[in-house]
Amino acid sequence: MPLDTLSDISDDILLARFAKGDRVAARALTLRLTPRVLAHAVRMLGNHAEAEDVSQEAMLRLWKAAPDWRSGEAKVSTWLYRVVSNLCIDRLRKAQPDGLDTIPEPEDPRDGPADVLQRHTRARALQSALGRLPFRQRQAVVLRDLQGLANPEVAEIMETSVEAVESLLTRGRKALSADLAGRRAELGFEDG
Amino acid sequence: MGDRDEPGAAQMLDAYFEAARAETAAPSTELMARVLSDAQSVQDGLLAPSDKAMARFAGLRRAVRALGGWPAVAGLASATVAGVWIGATQPNALTPYTSLLQQDAALYQIDLPAGAGFDLDEGTL
Repeated sequence: MPLDTLSDISDDILLARFAKGDRVAARALTLRLTPRVLAHAVRMLGNHAEAEDVSQEAMLRLWKAAPDWRSGEAKVSTWLYRVVSNLCIDRLRKAQPDGLDTIPEPEDPRDGPADVLQRHTRARALQSALGRLPFRQRQAVVLRDLQGLANPEVAEIMETSVEAVESLLTRGRKALSADLAGRRAELGFEDG
Repeated sequence: MGDRDEPGAAQMLDAYFEAARAETAAPSTELMARVLSDAQSVQDGLLAPSDKAMARFAGLRRAVRALGGWPAVAGLASATVAGVWIGATQPNALTPYTSLLQQDAALYQIDLPAGAGFDLDEGTL
C-alpha cells in the first residue's frame, strides 16, 4: 500500500495499529520516521554509517515501546528525537570527549555548478563546525535550526526549560558564527 | 532566529543552515529494510503471547470434547448450580424428600403416630 494513503493518520494511531500486528502501519511508520531520525543522527554524529546504526536502534526501541504506548501523553516524534539524541550523545562521549575526529573537514571546491558547489561546501563546513560545539549546544541548534522544531518541543526533547534552550541556542549560534566566519576566506566565500 | 547578535552574522549563519537543510541525508535502502525487518520481528513477538495463551487452553478444550462437547458441559454446570441452590435454601416443597435423608427423624415421624401397628403385630402373634 502506498504511504500517502495513510498520511492523514497520526503517528499515535499507526503505532497502536502496529502493536496489533498491522504490517501496513509498520511500513508507514518506517517510511515516515526513519528519514527524520537519520537526518538528526547524521547532524549530531557527522558520520552516516554510525547514524544508520543509531537510527535502527532508535526505531527498534520505538517498536518495543508500541504495546505500552499511551496515546496522547507524548508525541511519537518527540519521544523518538529524545531517544536518538541520547544515543548520539552516548556514542560521542564514548568515541571522543569532543567528537572532533568524527566530523569530516570541508572538502575543497571541485568542478560543477557554482551554486551547488557552494551549497555543498557550506553544508560540509557547517557540519564540521557543529562537531566542534559542546553536545548540548549542538543538540539544540540541530533540533531548532536544522530539524525546524519549535523551542518548547526542543525543550521537551532535551528535558530542560525553554529558557535553557534559548540560552543554548544563543551560545551555539554565536560559536558557529565565529567558527564559520574564520573559515570563510579558507572556503573562498565572498558573500555570507 | 532573532536572538543572534549581529545581523550580518545571522544572515551568514542562515545561509549555512539553508545549505545544510537542502543536503539532508537520506536513509539507504539497506537501513529501511533493516528497520522494517526489526518491526516485523517485534510484531511477531507481540503476537506470540496470545498464541501461548491459546496453547494453555488446549487441555481445557480436550476435556470439554471428552465430556461430550459444550452442551453436555452446560448441562453438568446447570445440575451443579441446582444442587448447590437446593442444599443452601432447602425449599418447602422438597422437605419430605430431604427429610428422608435425616434417617432418625424420619423413623420416629412415620412409625410412632401409627399405634395400630402394634395391634396388628399382637394379633398376628
